[in-house]
Amino acid sequence: MSQPVTTNPLIIMLINMTVVFLVLMALGVVINLIHIIDPTKPKAAPKEEVVEEAPAVEAPAAEPVTAPVEEGISPEVVAVIAAAVASMGYGAGSVRAIRPLDRDNWKNSGRNALQSRF
Amino acid sequence: MELLNAFVVSLQAVWADSGFSAFTMGNGIMILVGLVLLYMAIVKEFEPLLLGPIAFGCVLANFPRTGFFTDPGLMQAIHYGIENEIFPPLIFLGIGAMTDFGPLLARPVTLLLGAAAQIGVFVALVGAMLLGFTVQEAGAIGIIGGADGPTAIYLSIQMAPHLLGAIAVAAYSYMSLVPLIQPPVMKLLTTQKEREVAMEQLRPVTKFERVCFPIVAAIIISLLLPPIASLLGCLMLGNLFRESGVMDRLSDTAQNSLCNIVTIFLATGTGMTMNADDFLRTETLLIIGLGLVAFIAGTAGGVIFGKIMCRLSGWKINPLIGSAGVSAVPMAARVSQVVGMKAKPGNYLLMHAMGPNVAGVIGTAVAAGTMLAMLK
Repeated sequence: MSQPVTTNPLIIMLINMTVVFLVLMALGVVINLIHIIDPTKPKAAPKEEVVEEAPAVEAPAAEPVTAPVEEGISPEVVAVIAAAVASMGYGAGSVRAIRPLDRDNWKNSGRNALQSRF
Repeated sequence: MELLNAFVVSLQAVWADSGFSAFTMGNGIMILVGLVLLYMAIVKEFEPLLLGPIAFGCVLANFPRTGFFTDPGLMQAIHYGIENEIFPPLIFLGIGAMTDFGPLLARPVTLLLGAAAQIGVFVALVGAMLLGFTVQEAGAIGIIGGADGPTAIYLSIQMAPHLLGAIAVAAYSYMSLVPLIQPPVMKLLTTQKEREVAMEQLRPVTKFERVCFPIVAAIIISLLLPPIASLLGCLMLGNLFRESGVMDRLSDTAQNSLCNIVTIFLATGTGMTMNADDFLRTETLLIIGLGLVAFIAGTAGGVIFGKIMCRLSGWKINPLIGSAGVSAVPMAARVSQVVGMKAKPGNYLLMHAMGPNVAGVIGTAVAAGTMLAMLK
């Protein structure tokens, strides 16, 4: 075993913490560089979504045919679903439509069985 | 009469060769320690996959006259794998194959939390030196604060092999106690408002980023810190198996069969370093105490840096994810999630905490590499 560079614990702490921060910051720079040069990243996708979403929100007013909440669903049920969605951290605007599932019990049972393992 | 004499002499020879004749009080105490650890592993389920073989190894190590470390055989082969730093990098290969670097790639700023939490390593190092340990021993003890078993073993073997048993047991015991040690520190250092901070959803990470990162990180870190090239090289190779999409069989082997086999060897071999002569010392108690200090300081360092980042980011980063910077993947991230959920139901921090969590693994390895370069 060779001689240690220093035996002063505070200097060891200072040097080591500096090195750890510098190396991890360098990795951060590398991650950002990889993201910048990434040829596969979706280009300006978020902007397009915003442009598409804006008329989509207004659409029901202009075209009342596509009702966001189907008939037979009471306002109380809508309120409960919106509250449940909000409790998961999403805003009220996240609810776009409420439709009942098709009533095929065999299909629903199959879906439940598949999803229960997660 | 002659027959009786022969019988007595034979019995005496069997007794003289048996372990009972050489059994010491120290062996008895260590076997009891092993049984207590087995109880904790099996009944209390404290890291049973690691503590179980460590505990059994401790029991085995205290049978006299087994010749485990002197005669060629399985036990000597296992010891060789530990002594020559073969097993820790193989465990890292499995960890790499199991780890999703996505949260880190999506928000690289969380690397800083993984760096800040390494303060625990150096607080323990300072404490150990004040208590009279040599600088190399102090470095090996300090790494317990990194909450990373393979790195702790890797560093101990090179800097203080005689303390390996105590350091490994302290590291793995505290890792299993992360859900008990961290929450009080996290709550003490944060306000209710800070704990309730909701974080934005992470951006999607492309396959290009996932494949490039392990390759580039391995090149940079290995060039910068050659002493840990085998550890981090294996971590990144395992991750490349996982992310490339064309090496699924290798990824599967690395994260399942190989990792399990090496865990058996590494944990049993580590337990077998816990013989009475090396373990029953005052230093062991000091190491266990310093390990606790290291864990608390590391958690506090991560949370305090998280508070700073919370302010600088305009309340967009929850300081609770800082505690995950102490490695202990993924348990520390789960603790951030649980404490965050208690403060605000529906506030999911798990994926956000995985960023500093994996950054902590890299940070601990970097700290170990720096100490090897400076102190060995």
